[in-house]
Amino acid sequence: MLDLRVPSGWFFTVLGLILLGMGIFAPDTRAALSDANVNLYSGLPMLLFGLFMLLMAWRASRRAS
Amino acid sequence: MKLAPVDYTILAVYFAFVLGIGWMLRKKMSTSGDFLLSGRSVPVWITSLAFIAANLGAQELVGMSASGAKYGIMTAHFYWIGAIPAILFVGIFMMPFYYGSKARSVPEYLKMRYDEKTRTYNAFSFAVMTIFSSGISMYALGKLLQLVLGWDFNMSILVSAAIVLVYTFLGGLTSAIYNEVLQFLLIVAGFSPLAILAVAKAGGWHGIQTRLGAMTLAGGMSGKVMTHAWTYMGSPQSNPMGVELFGMVAGLGFVLSFGYWCTNFLVIQRAMAADSMNSARRTPLIGAFPKMFLPFIVIVPGIAAVALANMHVGYSIPLDNGAPNYNLVITTLMAKFYPAGMLGVGLTGLVASFMSGMAGNVTAFNTVWTYDIYQTYIRKTAPDRHYLNVGRATTVVGVVLSIGAAYVATRYDNIMDLLQLVFGFVNAPLFATFLLGMFWKRGTGHAAFSGLVTGTVAASLTWCLTVAEGKGGILGTVHTFPSAMAQSFWIALVAFTSCFLVTLVVSLATKPRPEKDLEGLVYGLTKIPEDRGSWYQRPAPLAVTVIAILLVLNFWFA
Repeated sequence: MLDLRVPSGWFFTVLGLILLGMGIFAPDTRAALSDANVNLYSGLPMLLFGLFMLLMAWRASRRAS
Repeated sequence: MKLAPVDYTILAVYFAFVLGIGWMLRKKMSTSGDFLLSGRSVPVWITSLAFIAANLGAQELVGMSASGAKYGIMTAHFYWIGAIPAILFVGIFMMPFYYGSKARSVPEYLKMRYDEKTRTYNAFSFAVMTIFSSGISMYALGKLLQLVLGWDFNMSILVSAAIVLVYTFLGGLTSAIYNEVLQFLLIVAGFSPLAILAVAKAGGWHGIQTRLGAMTLAGGMSGKVMTHAWTYMGSPQSNPMGVELFGMVAGLGFVLSFGYWCTNFLVIQRAMAADSMNSARRTPLIGAFPKMFLPFIVIVPGIAAVALANMHVGYSIPLDNGAPNYNLVITTLMAKFYPAGMLGVGLTGLVASFMSGMAGNVTAFNTVWTYDIYQTYIRKTAPDRHYLNVGRATTVVGVVLSIGAAYVATRYDNIMDLLQLVFGFVNAPLFATFLLGMFWKRGTGHAAFSGLVTGTVAASLTWCLTVAEGKGGILGTVHTFPSAMAQSFWIALVAFTSCFLVTLVVSLATKPRPEKDLEGLVYGLTKIPEDRGSWYQRPAPLAVTVIAILLVLNFWFA
């Protein structure tokens, strides 16, 4: 059976990279009511979460084989 | 609100992943059981999140932030007292019968426990209800996207329905469940930054308390009413929801929430797809952990929005013909707090919530139609292959009917209100039937059926004889409720009580079923599996942990 941690891990890795990219290369993209670099701060945890899911899936598949 | 190319990219990435999951699962679908029941093989962390996500539709997200803005933190009762006790009960006490009976659906359990007519009553009302609720939520999302982004109503409905159709058609229930988990994670990722940003801007929880205090004091209520969940429930006049303690605890916390979480096949189906009895029982219990914390990301932004609107910082509650339209709170907050990029994630989360709600309805409809209606009345015996094909065809029919229901909703607003009212009447007594069925071996089929019918009639009569906010009372006015919510809580109480009593009395007057027919279906005639392993692998310690956290949350926000 498909290990759901793989697609969801990749999904959040991609999402995190897009937001992180925006946060780093277009830091002036700000919303009307917030001075924070929202893309940077929300992209980072998404990327970490995605990588964590991939790591867990990789460990599980290594144990299975 | 305008979206940037990066926002559309994120939406496209999401579409690619949900379709990809369906595509990767397509080869696993070789029997009707694989397609409609996930072959009872899904790991418990997945079923738990799907259990919560199937209930977390777009209407729920939009509606809860709107209620947060209107009623304050009291809205959290829909997640705490109005959900958690029932979720624990279904996991600990009811799942052994649902999962252990090998029933393939909730109506099928009714057939095993009671009789054919009770099952049919439940199966038909459930099938019609799922189609309409799927249609109503589709309509709500289409309208919202049209209003906020200017997207074409037909386009948003057809595109999102087509995507749900493709991935459920390919991968059946497993695909729906897997995607519900992805959608749940995305909703959390897309909404929690908003809660943090909005609360921070409003001066933290303390700042919100001060600002809303001044407002509610001016409105004639206590200054703390928006930020306290229990303190002002002594009388309906002292809180904005217009409900009192008994109606809240007995109506919402007992009848309505147990009726939903313990009998609704939409959520039960997720637990029944788990890979073992132990996993099936733990599904609701593990799901309870994220459920308790959802108010912080779906309700709190609504509360913060009202505070912000009183601060002159450039945010105001959107108006609709001069009256505040709270349903737009969540999207307008996103527009003010999210830059291009994160805005894409937030809106994709909203679209995802809609899809998970719709896929949940469609897959539950599928199973009930194929096993409880088609196999019972249309073609009793056929090779399994045939039922697999019927299941697939039903997926298409279910989606098409939902789209139809969405257009009925566009045309006839009142019909939808009426239907939701009628479904409420049909649902309210159900928990009494299941309670007596599972824990009293004397209960009989005739009794269950007459109890359900009586409960529904009693609920309708209560509505026809009482008035709240100008609604109901078409046969006269015996009582006037302070709010529509109080009225619905009391209707549920009347329905439950009358169904319970009628089932009890008629059971005693009819011939009992022999005990050997009830093995595995009723408490006392069923082996409850012994639990082994660490605390998190056993239902009871998990439930105790949930209760402890629930108590802390309720005292904190009392």
